[in-house]
Amino acid sequence: MSKNKIVIDPVTRIEGHLRIEVEVDEDNVVTEAWASGQLFRGIEIILKGRDPRDVGLIAQRICGVCTNVHYRASISAVEDAYSITIPQNAEIIRNLVTMALFVQDHIIHYYHLHSLDFVDITSALEADCAKAVTMAQQYHENPYRNSEGHLESVKEKLGSFVKAGRLGLFSNGYWGHETYRFTPEENLVHMNHYLEALRIQHDISKAIAIFAGKTPHPQNLVVGGVTSVADMLNPQRLNDFMFIIKEVREFLERAYIPDIKMVVKAYADSIERGEGRGCGNFLCCGGYRLPNKEQLFVGGVITGHDFDAVQAFDPSKITEEASRSWYESNPPSSPYDQDSTPFYTDLNEDGTLKSEGKYSWVKAPRYEGKVMEVGPVARMIMGVVKESPVIKPYMDRFMSESGMKLIDFSTSVGRNAARAVEAQVCCDYLFDFMSDLIENIKYYDETTWTKYVFEELPTTSKGAGIFEVPRGILSHFVKIQEGKVSNYQVVAPTTWNASPKDATGQRGPYEEALIGIKLSDPSRPLEVLRVVHSFDPCLACAVHVIDTKGRELSHYKIQTVCSV
Amino acid sequence: MRIVIVGGGISAVYLANTILKKSPTSEVLIVSDETHPPYDRIHLCALVNKSQCVESITLELHPKVRLELNQTILSIDGTAKRILSSHAVFAYDKLIIATGSEPKTLFNIEGISNASTFRSEKDSEKIADGIVGKNVVLVGVGPIGLELLDTLMQSPSAKSITLLARKEYLYSQDLSREAIALLRGIFEQDPRIRIEFNDEIIDKTISDNTIKSIQTRHRIIEDPFLIFGVGIDPRIDFARQALECDKGILVDDNMRTSNLDIYCVGEAAQLRSSGFIAGRVKECTLQAEVAVDTLLGLETKQFVQEVSIDGLKVGSFLFADVSSPSYNPKDPDNETILITHENRVDQYIVNHDRLKRFIGINTNIDLIHLKRLIEMDKPIDAAYLYSNRLHSGKGRLVCSCESVYEAELVDIIKLNAITSFGGLKPYTEAGRVCGRCKQDITALIAATPVDAAMAQQLRAQREADAKEAEMALVRARIEKYNKIHPKNQLSFENLEEAMESFDMGSEFNKWVSMITATMNLHPGYEEVVKEGVSQLNKIPIIWLELADCSGNSEGFIKSSHPKIDDLILKYISLDYHELLMAGSGDQSETVLDNIIKYDAGKYVLIVEGAVPLGLDGKFLRIGTKGETGHALLQRVAQNAAAVIAVGSCAYDGGVVAAAPNPTGAVGVAEALGRTDIINLPGCPVNPINIVGTLLHFMMFEEFPKLDEKNRPIWAYGARVHDNCERRGHFDLGEFVLEWGDEGAKKGWCLFMMGCKGPYAQMNCSQVKFNEGTSWPVQAGHGCFACGAGKIAFDQYANHRPLAKEPHE
Repeated sequence: MSKNKIVIDPVTRIEGHLRIEVEVDEDNVVTEAWASGQLFRGIEIILKGRDPRDVGLIAQRICGVCTNVHYRASISAVEDAYSITIPQNAEIIRNLVTMALFVQDHIIHYYHLHSLDFVDITSALEADCAKAVTMAQQYHENPYRNSEGHLESVKEKLGSFVKAGRLGLFSNGYWGHETYRFTPEENLVHMNHYLEALRIQHDISKAIAIFAGKTPHPQNLVVGGVTSVADMLNPQRLNDFMFIIKEVREFLERAYIPDIKMVVKAYADSIERGEGRGCGNFLCCGGYRLPNKEQLFVGGVITGHDFDAVQAFDPSKITEEASRSWYESNPPSSPYDQDSTPFYTDLNEDGTLKSEGKYSWVKAPRYEGKVMEVGPVARMIMGVVKESPVIKPYMDRFMSESGMKLIDFSTSVGRNAARAVEAQVCCDYLFDFMSDLIENIKYYDETTWTKYVFEELPTTSKGAGIFEVPRGILSHFVKIQEGKVSNYQVVAPTTWNASPKDATGQRGPYEEALIGIKLSDPSRPLEVLRVVHSFDPCLACAVHVIDTKGRELSHYKIQTVCSV
Repeated sequence: MRIVIVGGGISAVYLANTILKKSPTSEVLIVSDETHPPYDRIHLCALVNKSQCVESITLELHPKVRLELNQTILSIDGTAKRILSSHAVFAYDKLIIATGSEPKTLFNIEGISNASTFRSEKDSEKIADGIVGKNVVLVGVGPIGLELLDTLMQSPSAKSITLLARKEYLYSQDLSREAIALLRGIFEQDPRIRIEFNDEIIDKTISDNTIKSIQTRHRIIEDPFLIFGVGIDPRIDFARQALECDKGILVDDNMRTSNLDIYCVGEAAQLRSSGFIAGRVKECTLQAEVAVDTLLGLETKQFVQEVSIDGLKVGSFLFADVSSPSYNPKDPDNETILITHENRVDQYIVNHDRLKRFIGINTNIDLIHLKRLIEMDKPIDAAYLYSNRLHSGKGRLVCSCESVYEAELVDIIKLNAITSFGGLKPYTEAGRVCGRCKQDITALIAATPVDAAMAQQLRAQREADAKEAEMALVRARIEKYNKIHPKNQLSFENLEEAMESFDMGSEFNKWVSMITATMNLHPGYEEVVKEGVSQLNKIPIIWLELADCSGNSEGFIKSSHPKIDDLILKYISLDYHELLMAGSGDQSETVLDNIIKYDAGKYVLIVEGAVPLGLDGKFLRIGTKGETGHALLQRVAQNAAAVIAVGSCAYDGGVVAAAPNPTGAVGVAEALGRTDIINLPGCPVNPINIVGTLLHFMMFEEFPKLDEKNRPIWAYGARVHDNCERRGHFDLGEFVLEWGDEGAKKGWCLFMMGCKGPYAQMNCSQVKFNEGTSWPVQAGHGCFACGAGKIAFDQYANHRPLAKEPHE
């Protein structure tokens, strides 16, 4: 049986440098896949030896997309090591920023990084705008910016752009690919929202900047709390924040959710075939305490799509190994004890991955030895099966309106559906966090920082900051000796999802999800991108190094992905 | 270092001032045998006719220079490094000899009351006092003789003046007969003056130390005053024992003598390589530059003779001489082209069709242009010289050192209401290099009426004209871009309409105002900025992400005014950007290859992220062929019209290169080994700085003015601290001392909490982030100078003032 190898590098519309290679049989069906992180920077090595109070500004630069969650996780890890509890106001401000990031990230991911795998921009030019208006109303009674005149102007804008001969970012896309399913009208409505979403994501970044100073790479956190107390006490700032979030809620309700329903319907055959279905193992750590003491997200572990047998999440069951990664091979061990040395075995001479050997800078994290998928789909499924009073109502409503079953979420299209629902949950609960903050201020609680005397803190300690972030579970681990960081480690969401194979041959989640995908045209592998993008890869986060022995460059650990 | 200069003339002063300018800590001593501080010999004539006193021709000397007068140096002790006069010893680390030359005489005139040379202030005094009522005999027809003759002509002192010429020429043997006749005619208009050719002194009567009469071949002159202007010899007797000498002290092309601690410049020095001895001021100052640079170890440039522009300092006519260093008067192939008209003579000497020398009398030819013709050393057509009288619209060349013409000077004087030579200094160096034309300029200032109000008006008019001209240039450029991509339908004419359809008319105007102000451009530029914006999408842009976190891309898509959708769709042709583009793998690679191939030399490359050089660059590989990030960067940068490094990582490695720099990361400029990379550091860079830089490139065909780190000054010229909204609290000593304290609630200064605003050169405090929503200081956190590059992550990214860091 002859097999062809297809190399996709760079995978665009993701953060970071990812390569995907797939092997297809004579029917162009994927029989094997390799996901490879192609950049190594070593931020953890740089963190070693620094004052623990300083890790935040460097650790956040692991990723410019997920920046503020790395910032928060690193500061939290240090606070954990010193047993510092931050004031309620500080916790709320951090949550406001994190939740706003969830919403922003999901919107950018779907519209700007992923939707072009579903939307054929050239077909939108043939749309009948009147028909498009009516079509959109099937998915919401009052669709977002859906007047015929507006759609005409969008069409004209795209048209003049295409005709001008300079397509810019849209040049050499997969236009006309036979697996595109949308009608011209559906394509036009999506492109309309693609453009609106650019504005919305930009507005959310303004909201984030109100409390975070700027984004990406905010500056508002310190060990013990937050610094933006003056903004917190300024009613105009709080008001500006909520006005933006209100507008965003409109967009989610009237654009994002209806558009996803449109995808679910148009690509029903893809869901039916289970395209992009992965290992069926899902991992959540839960978190974000709401004012009513409920957790926004619930933790738990599901294996093999067995929704009836949920186990509790236990961080000590996490191991990492590197038998197929560019580090010396060691037996699987806890991230704290990982001891790996970079061992770069290069690419083949033709530039392809050495598919039988080591092939990625991303390491392989496992839970009880199993590969795990993390992210919105894990959190939404977990919320349903554990009957979360927060998540389940949203999921129930979406499933009843779209006709999806829970198992359907574990597909490429399903991941997007889970992400959209999650965006709505996060956006709605921003209002709860904000009213909690206003209550505190009303009763004269203006505290934003917990006082401590650094010189009196223990000089030896360790701590972790573990959070659900847009792309899944993010963990920062810090060890402190003689008052300095002696070891630092990050396990990011994309580390889980973009994991390579391990010693037992288990594929990583991306790889597993690609098996069985049929390509209609191997020279234009759109089907592969559709699967990989559905995970929302973020490779800058995925590759990390850990040095447990104090030898520079001698130990690497990879973590993964981040998200947000 | 103690540097001793021997000499009291223009070279000595030029040397001393240059040394202190280039090395202010040096100790400089001038030792001169004259009684006056160094003065400008060129203006000795003015002492003869008493229009100036010696103080007014004294040269400006740096106040740190020490001066020892009345010290005639007798010998040099090169081993002990000291020089000796009759009554003093001076030690040196380096010695420079600039003693010039001494005038020759045909017989010994020491002690004779009515005979003199013409070389010093004393000589001038003697002549001025001695010629009254005498029959002056002037021997010598070179520049000195002619200038003195001209001076004597202006004064009624002398009874008669006879100029003795041993042969039948004036000035130089090369001067044409027509020119000689013209000069003679001009001089002999004065009935007291007679020029005797083919004549010389054959006898004289001396008694009581006075020459009673002089007999020449042609005549006997009674009651004379004799002046010798017959030539000069290097004045180097004191050095003959210590140093190798020929005619002058022998020096190499760096002006070093046979003793490497001793230098010699000017008329006392003779080049070992060519035998050349300097005669003109310009040559002396060039030699002085070379000597100083070599002595201070600054440069290894060598003295090379340049085309000289010279002339006679005479009042009765204009006389100019432009001469090539390769001109050889004895070359039989020299040809003369003579163009005369009334009292004007233009004499060109060409050799194998190349212009070698020009001598002009009462000419108004542009001398600087002629100098360039000689320098180009290309064949010229004689007809060109005839048909092209090369008129200078700017009048006569007043200062040949600075190439300043009379009209330009008058312009400066009027425009700035200048009334004294000193007042001219801020505007031009004319008259201050060799000093030759200082008197001319002073006269020009005196002759030019000025009016302060008028000057102001003129200046305003001038500025407006310059602005208009600059804008015309920008418009031409925008027009050029219009032609580059004729397929693009957007033009300034339909811009309004386009903006309306985007519902962003007012927003756009706001943005244009903002960016105009941010770039420090005059509000008058708004119109052209607007036009410029409409052309931005004509520049194909490749955005490469290397060892990065995508933070700059994220920041860029959060750009505001115009919002990103319009930006990418209309204003910027972002053709390759991994984060946003539709195609992947082969599809995206094809896009990249096509731009490199078809838009070579036109596209702008923006690079985000550091370049890891460790592991042969394999810490980062991109593309189906597994090219390293470094190789990809080199390939794409090669054909780019310009390369812009955005963010701190692309600047110098940034956080990726922070200690211990695990992947050997460097910035783009270092990775490419180029010095022309524009840096826009910041973590991330403020998007407005990217757009502003692109706009500037488009409008002016060049990048904005850059500082020494290649950052645009308009964005990186100001300190965060100086424009900080909390600066008032700093000045009042109101500091936040604990996170969340009362000061923090009131927005006091964050310096004590480790704000590094005082060390940050950025415009964050002015433009802020996320559509001006906030910035780190407003958020109560403080700045850590993220744009300073990797040092920010090693030293500034903390919450402690710098002084408190023990390792700093």
